[in-house]
Amino acid sequence: MTEQTTIPATSGAFTDGMLLPRTVKVENLNHFFGEGELRKQALFSNNLEVRRGEIVIMTGPSGSGKTTLLTLIGSLRSVQEGSLLVLGNELCGADRDLIVRLRREMGFIFQAHNLFESLTAFQNVNMAAELVGLDPMIAEGRITSLLTRLGLGDRIHYKPNSLSGGQKQRVAIARGLVHKPKLILADEPTAALDEKSGREVVTLFQELARDEGCTIIMVTHDNRILDVADRIVNMVDGTIKSDVAVQETSVICEFLKDFPLFSDLTPTTLAEIADQMMVHKAEPGKTVIRQGEAGNLFYLIRSGSVDVLIDEGQSKKKVAELKQGQYFGEAALITDEPRNATIVAKEKSVFYALGKEDFRAVLATSATFEEELRQALFNR
Amino acid sequence: MSTPLAWKNLTHNKVRTSIGVAGVGFAVILIFMQLGFLGAIQKTATQIYDALDFDLLLRSPAYLHLTEPRDFARARVYQAASLPEVSHARPFYLGLSEWQIPITSNAPLNQEASDTEDLSGQWRGIITMGTDPNDPGFTRDDICKQARQLSDPRFVLIDSESKSEYGPAQGDEFSRADIGTETALGPRRVRIVGLFKLGTGMASNGACLTNPEGYVRACPWQTINEVNFGLLKLHDPSQVEAVKAKLQHIFGIPASVSDAKSQQHHRAALLTNVDVEILTREEVNQHEERRWVVDTPLGQIFQLGVWVAVFVGVAIVYQVLSSDIANMMGEYATLKAMGHSNKFLARVVLQQSVLLAIVGYLPSLAISWVLYRIVEAESGMPMYMTKEIMALVFVLAVVICVLSGLGALRKLFQADPADLF
Repeated sequence: MTEQTTIPATSGAFTDGMLLPRTVKVENLNHFFGEGELRKQALFSNNLEVRRGEIVIMTGPSGSGKTTLLTLIGSLRSVQEGSLLVLGNELCGADRDLIVRLRREMGFIFQAHNLFESLTAFQNVNMAAELVGLDPMIAEGRITSLLTRLGLGDRIHYKPNSLSGGQKQRVAIARGLVHKPKLILADEPTAALDEKSGREVVTLFQELARDEGCTIIMVTHDNRILDVADRIVNMVDGTIKSDVAVQETSVICEFLKDFPLFSDLTPTTLAEIADQMMVHKAEPGKTVIRQGEAGNLFYLIRSGSVDVLIDEGQSKKKVAELKQGQYFGEAALITDEPRNATIVAKEKSVFYALGKEDFRAVLATSATFEEELRQALFNR
Repeated sequence: MSTPLAWKNLTHNKVRTSIGVAGVGFAVILIFMQLGFLGAIQKTATQIYDALDFDLLLRSPAYLHLTEPRDFARARVYQAASLPEVSHARPFYLGLSEWQIPITSNAPLNQEASDTEDLSGQWRGIITMGTDPNDPGFTRDDICKQARQLSDPRFVLIDSESKSEYGPAQGDEFSRADIGTETALGPRRVRIVGLFKLGTGMASNGACLTNPEGYVRACPWQTINEVNFGLLKLHDPSQVEAVKAKLQHIFGIPASVSDAKSQQHHRAALLTNVDVEILTREEVNQHEERRWVVDTPLGQIFQLGVWVAVFVGVAIVYQVLSSDIANMMGEYATLKAMGHSNKFLARVVLQQSVLLAIVGYLPSLAISWVLYRIVEAESGMPMYMTKEIMALVFVLAVVICVLSGLGALRKLFQADPADLF
């Protein structure tokens, strides 16, 4: 049998089937503001995991605690209750040296650009490069190329007061990125930018995430950039209300759409199905389902491949090989009959499995569906 | 080469920096002036003694200060002269008399100063010195040469450094135009026969020189047998201590003691039992400097002035630095968020303070030098811009700025990166 995990498919933990290391792990995090009678809880036992290379967008109404959570992750506030692991370090009770060291591995992009008026764009960015002890020659090249990339090539040696609001913001972004941080925390980084430069900034984020394995957490209300998110975290009243790996969800939805029964479903329904799936893992040679057993799960192959074997008396005949994006185990759920084939993992594989009840509930959502299904089965 | 943030901050906001520089400059100039005055007092305190030629000085144990020297028997001077080690023993007269601003008068020189005419001129206190015209006992040849003219008790030399209030004929200073002018010194009429250049410092505003008979004429409460100083010159100046001890023995002066309580007894014994005291030049100078710098409020006023200037400087520079920090709170908080330690930020602010001190100091040094020259020209006080004063003021300027910087740091440490998001 497969190794069943408690990880939801949409957690994004198994993007491309690999379990990536966690950049941020929030566990039971509470936070309070004020003292004594004025003490007010701002965060209520939050849990969140962000993995290497993920781009996380945090949304939620103002006062929902997303900024508080961001400052806690950024070690700009001290952790009061719960556990917060950032880049492998526990921040709860961390000493100043650790915090200072950790901050140098992070890049901050604030809503206010906070550039030194007395320094040029180049020097402002260089303040961050110097901090991590970057070689001046390398730093110079990187600063120049970053600023050029952000459309400030001709304004490298301008002081902030001769730059526009958007240009200042882009200098601040360059400052947050120049030292190749492992974790970037950004607050409305594109708010002051026009469509084109906003897009350039998020493309840069994506490249950093893809090429450098940089994790990016940003608070934004900018709908134009929601598409870059691997994960969208929605906070309401100090609690994470939903935490969806959108990238992974959309991959699952694409896969599910290929399943004839689901092809007419709306994206919303597909996303709901994806939300209900759990991660299962199997080592090579392991039997995922056995012919003749009662079926209670529908499987989608996230990575790896399986053989489909049908028992013919003594011998097992291989009838098919299924790969990533393909699915199996649906028939037993629909017909309520035992499994009609055995599935064996050919290699180390990851599946997203949907429970029988959930599977049926989906089918029941539309009558046409039911009909279509019977037709399909009849035609078999 | 790291980004010179402190310097850039300073040069960026020129208005605020100018205020800071002006603040430092103001404090620095104030300190320079106070120290200049203090130095002038120290310098002028011993001006007259410096011009007198002696290795050992005899004077009354009741001596208070230059214009209140008290007197002692002239015989003591001749007694000292009997020692083989002593090459010269000169009686010297010095006291405060009154000088009448010269007015045109036809009264003959021998006449007593008359109420009708002479009292109509204003009177000024003046240091009057009396010495033997043939052996005046000054270290300076120009004064000795001029002193030879004092062949008659009615003749005086006037110090050209005397203030204009003594009534020079032309301009602010006594000059050749005043030679031959007749006026009253004390109760008698005198004639100015020449000039000398000495200066009296804070003790008085002017000085004149005459012969011993002339001195007694001007100060009738003293007789020619009572002198104010005895100027002893030794064959071998290195024998000062030995000769002093010898003289103390001869005069019956009890040997001096070191501890404070016995010193008082010793002083009392001196005042009651003997009429003369023997001092080396060093002791004389110490006494005068202490008198002007410590005992009188003058020195204290100027020392207090230095402290006031330091506080004024701290207040101004603190304002400038802390408003600079307040304006850049977001930027400093960002640096903290980036992982700069408080130590780094403190260094930036302190660098900025020291730079402010240097930038404020240099022009103030130039301005103070000009002011010294102006004060010197106006008041006749010798204002010296010594290396010691320059170094001391520079240190104080840095102290002012660093103190202000440390004060402003408190604000900086409050910069909270959590407020940035």
